[in-house]
This record gives sequence, structure tokens and C-alpha cells, in this order.
Amino acid sequence: MALDSLQEEVSALALPSCDDRRSFARSGKVPSVAEPPAIRLDRLGKRFRVSKREGGLMPALRALVRREWVEVDAVCELSFEIPRGQRVGFLGPNGAGKTTTLKLLAGLLHPTSGHAEVLGHQPARRAHPFLRSIALVMGQKRQLAWDLPALDTFELLRVAFDVARPIYQQRLAELVELLDLAEVIRKPVRTLSLGERMKCEVVAALLHGPQVLFLDEPTIGMDVSMQLAMREFVREYNQRTGATIVLTSHYMEDVAALCERIIVIDGGRLRFDGSIEALVRRIRPLRRVSVRADGLPDAAGLAALGNAIVVEPPQLVLDVEPERVSEAVALLIGLPGSRDLAVADAPLEEVMRELFARPSERDQELGP
Amino acid sequence: MSRWLAVVGALWKYGVAQALAYRVSLIIWIASTSFPLISLVLWRALAETGPIGGWQQADFDSYFVATFLVRQLTSVWVVWDLDRQIRSGELSVLLLRPVSPILHHAMANLATQPLRLLLAAPLGILVLVSVGQTMAVAEDPRVWPLVPVALALSWLLAFTVQLSVACLAFWLTKAATLYEIYLGAFIVLSGYAVPTSLFPPGLAEVARVLPFHAVLGFPVELVIGRLPLAEAVEGLGLQLAWLTGFGLLAAWLWRRGLRVYGAVGA
Repeated sequence: MALDSLQEEVSALALPSCDDRRSFARSGKVPSVAEPPAIRLDRLGKRFRVSKREGGLMPALRALVRREWVEVDAVCELSFEIPRGQRVGFLGPNGAGKTTTLKLLAGLLHPTSGHAEVLGHQPARRAHPFLRSIALVMGQKRQLAWDLPALDTFELLRVAFDVARPIYQQRLAELVELLDLAEVIRKPVRTLSLGERMKCEVVAALLHGPQVLFLDEPTIGMDVSMQLAMREFVREYNQRTGATIVLTSHYMEDVAALCERIIVIDGGRLRFDGSIEALVRRIRPLRRVSVRADGLPDAAGLAALGNAIVVEPPQLVLDVEPERVSEAVALLIGLPGSRDLAVADAPLEEVMRELFARPSERDQELGP
Repeated sequence: MSRWLAVVGALWKYGVAQALAYRVSLIIWIASTSFPLISLVLWRALAETGPIGGWQQADFDSYFVATFLVRQLTSVWVVWDLDRQIRSGELSVLLLRPVSPILHHAMANLATQPLRLLLAAPLGILVLVSVGQTMAVAEDPRVWPLVPVALALSWLLAFTVQLSVACLAFWLTKAATLYEIYLGAFIVLSGYAVPTSLFPPGLAEVARVLPFHAVLGFPVELVIGRLPLAEAVEGLGLQLAWLTGFGLLAAWLWRRGLRVYGAVGA
């Protein structure tokens, strides 16, 4: 897709300080399309003032008289655009500012600096047309009344979001069927399993047909089959409705399976914006080639091909330069008893770990 | 307007469903606010030998049963709910809906009133029957239409005071604890434990212009017919004045608070 190729330009820059505004320059190109983007951030920043003290009784007593405050930049000069209908993974280590950014975009937080726009609205104003066009699903927060059946909350949301009854009934029927919730929605929420509750939360978030869907750890606590079902569901919702999806998840499989684009932030700052493939190429440019064979090349032969990662006959794993993959494959396939030949990128978890382990300055060197 | 009414109706139904789900808690809460009925027993015992400050036994009976019922009708608990929601970030869920979280809380609090009255009224009647009294009510028919207005203003004032305190949770940890200070003053100065007209001269006049009395003592005295029309109208004016003050304060704190809301954990 043309838009993707444009966005695969990495906009990874290290910013020395949030106050050093002149240093901001985004190298990523934004696709010039007639339709305005669903989401636009322009140097968005959020600074929290938090109290801090040492542990123990004396510091606690001292804090009664004199409290120390520190200012923390949870989000710092963040700029990017997301076109309508795109599925974007929002990644970063704990405390990177992912959830804060989602809260800013959903209008829950007021930015300290910069500007955010979602579907042409300023989120912090929480205008009703804006709230009717977005949804934020938070894996760790519930909007369903604990002691009532989910159906009661759905009906309240129908009226609150001003959804016509026939449309509501149609959507509810579709969602209930897709998520297999026919019996579940009539039981008190407290009696449901975590997975059932989460699916009901998703239904509650989608009943008004949001055009932008923020998913914050939607599969947290779910078993593998439930995660898969949720992923499929999100993909189908996106394809069917054209809604823009922004997803944060600690499960890289969620992101790899769903998102055509990823935005990586660390310390509240943008580290990467592009496709997963582009990130992998950038951080781990070597392709991983594995094979089983009855006879493996000698050490000199292996060194000529690439870096040997595992040499345990009959198994061989090599990291190979992308331009030499075809040569390596031809050689390995010709080995006696060659089987199970596979070429793959490094796992996304490894790539992310390596990215976060690198100092930001190095990313600049890696920039386009 | 019709959409607003639809939202109010839906919130009402939702609140009633929750009240029914928590019916046992509601009974316990009613029991915990039956202090006026205990006061009734104490004061009618003291008045056995003769009137106290012009109050006969029958006056105390009506006063404290009315106090018990008005307290039920004007019960709100938004300060505890909203304080918790702000601290824990649960408020985010309500902020994402195109309906004011304040309206949501107001309807949740109001929706329990029918059930609350259904449970509390028989208790009040039982107490009156057991002491062989009937409830005194205002004799002047011109006062009657003022009673529902006074009760409505009383509920709104109680709600707005709690809302103002709850909004402090945007800046303070456990703001609801501050409400305990208000509650302490309320028990003494509202007429909840002692009719304010029995207060020493000077203190009585002060107590009767404070918001505590506007929330409870005034509507109680209006119901049992202890206020002439002129004083009733004056009391309504005071209620309105306090409501305006606390309404403006709550609105200001709410708006300012949302700007600093941290949406912690949500």
C-alpha cells in the first residue's frame, strides 16, 4: 500500500528535552491525501506533577511538613498522523506514555502543550459529537455495572449515545453472535469469567459504532484462544466499518497480527513510526535462516554465509545479510538430507527489546 | 429536550435496577440513619413532665418522625462515590459518555428514593402508632405547595454540597474525609438531633441561616406546620441562595478539576 511505504520512513529522533522545542523535526513523511487524518498530534505533551519521598517513617513525617514534587513528562512533543481506517499498534515499555497518549486522544486528559485532533475535534473539549464517534476500551477498567446483567448497561448506553433502537438491536445481535455472548449478557456481570466480561466490555464500547477505537491492553488476562478470537474480531470490525484502530498491547502477537503500522514511544517520545517489517529491518536487518541437514558446512563455509547462531547437527541457524539470503538458501537446500528450511525475521519481542536497550541517540544514526 | 429526558429516564431505570440489586445495603443504610427515632424516644421521655421550650411530647413525635423521613428523602452519597472514582480513575468511564457524570450520579442517588421511602415510611408510621400519635402537618393550605419545592431544594443542596467536597479529590487524597467535618456540624446544627428552636438564643438565629438547617431543619418544620407562610418563603429563599452558592462552587471546582484529572489507572 502506497501510504504504508511512505510511512515506513522512520521518524525516530531523540529529544534532549521537552522544552527544547527547536530540536523537534520529524523526518517521517505524512501521506498527502484529500481526506483529513482521523488522528493528528502536533507536538503533544503531558507533564504530571507528582510527589515523591524516601520510604520509612521519618521521610513520611517530613513529607507532612514539606512535600517534594517532581515534574514528569509522560508525553513529550509527540507528533504523528493516522489516516482513517488504519490499524495502528502503539508500543513501548512500561511507563513509555502509551496509555497517557490514548487518554489524551480520548479527551480524558488535558494536554500540557501541543495539540491533538481526533476526527476534527479537540479531544479535551469532550464535545458530544466527538464522544459519540470514539471508544476507549481499557483492559483493566470496566463500565458494566457489577451486579446487573450487561444488557442493562447496553440499554443505558443505547440511550446515552442516542442510537436508534433498530440499529442498536442489529448491532447487538451481530456483536453477540460474533463474540458468542448469547447467554452471557443476561447474567449479572459479577458471575462472568474475565474473558466473558472483557467481551461484554468490547460490546459496550462498540454499540454506538465508533469511528475511532482505542484499545488499551484489550486482551490482558485472556487465554490464548480468547486472544485469537479478540484479534479476529477487531480485524473484522475494522474491515467491515472502516474504523480507525489504535491498539496498545504487551502481547506482540496482537500487534503483529493486527497492525499494519506501529508507533513506538519511549519516555514519552517517538522512537519509531512505520511498518513492523521496516522496524525489524532497521533493528535486526539480518534474516534468520534455519535448516536441518545430515551434513553441515564447515566453520569457514558457515562464516562465509553469515553469523552462526546455532550449530547443533542436524540443526543449523544462521543470521544472513538480506542480499545473501538466496545464495544461502541455495547452498543449504543442497546439503545432504536438507529439510525444514525456513527464512524468517527476528521475533518482534526480540526486536523491541533491542530497540529499547539502545540509547536514543543511536536511533538518530539509524534514521533515514 | 426529548433526548435529555430519554437520558434521564434511562439513568433513572438503571439506578432503580441497581438499588434493587443492593436492597439489603439500602435497608442497613436506612437503619443507620434512624438516629432521629432514637432522639424521639429521648426527648419524649424528657417532655413527659411538661413542655420543653414550648415543645410537647406530640411535637417531638412529629418532628423526629418527619426528620427521619426527610433525611431519607434527601439522602445523597455522591461524595463517597465520586471521591473514589476520581482517585481510582473510574471516572474515566463516565467521562467517555456523552452524558454528564454529574447527571449520572444525581440520577443514581435519586433513583433509590422510592424504594427508600417504601422501606422507611412504614417504620416511621410504626413509631407513631407505638407512641399513640398522629403526624402533625401544615394547616395552612398555602404552605402545602411549598413542601415539595423545599424538599427538592433540600435534596439539590445536599447533593451540591457533597459534589463540591467530592471535587476536591482532583487535588487532595481522600477528600471525602473532609465531608466528615461537614457531617459533624450537620448533626448538631441542622436540627437532626435537636430542633434548632431549642438552641440557646443567638445560636438558634445563626443555625437557622446556615446550609445545614436549609437542608434538613427547614423542610421538616415546614412539613409539620411550624412555619407561617412568610417564614416558609424566607426559608425557600435561603435554600435557593445556598444552592446558588454551592452550585457555582461545584461547577467551578468540577471544571478546574477536570483540567488536572490524572485518570490514574484508567
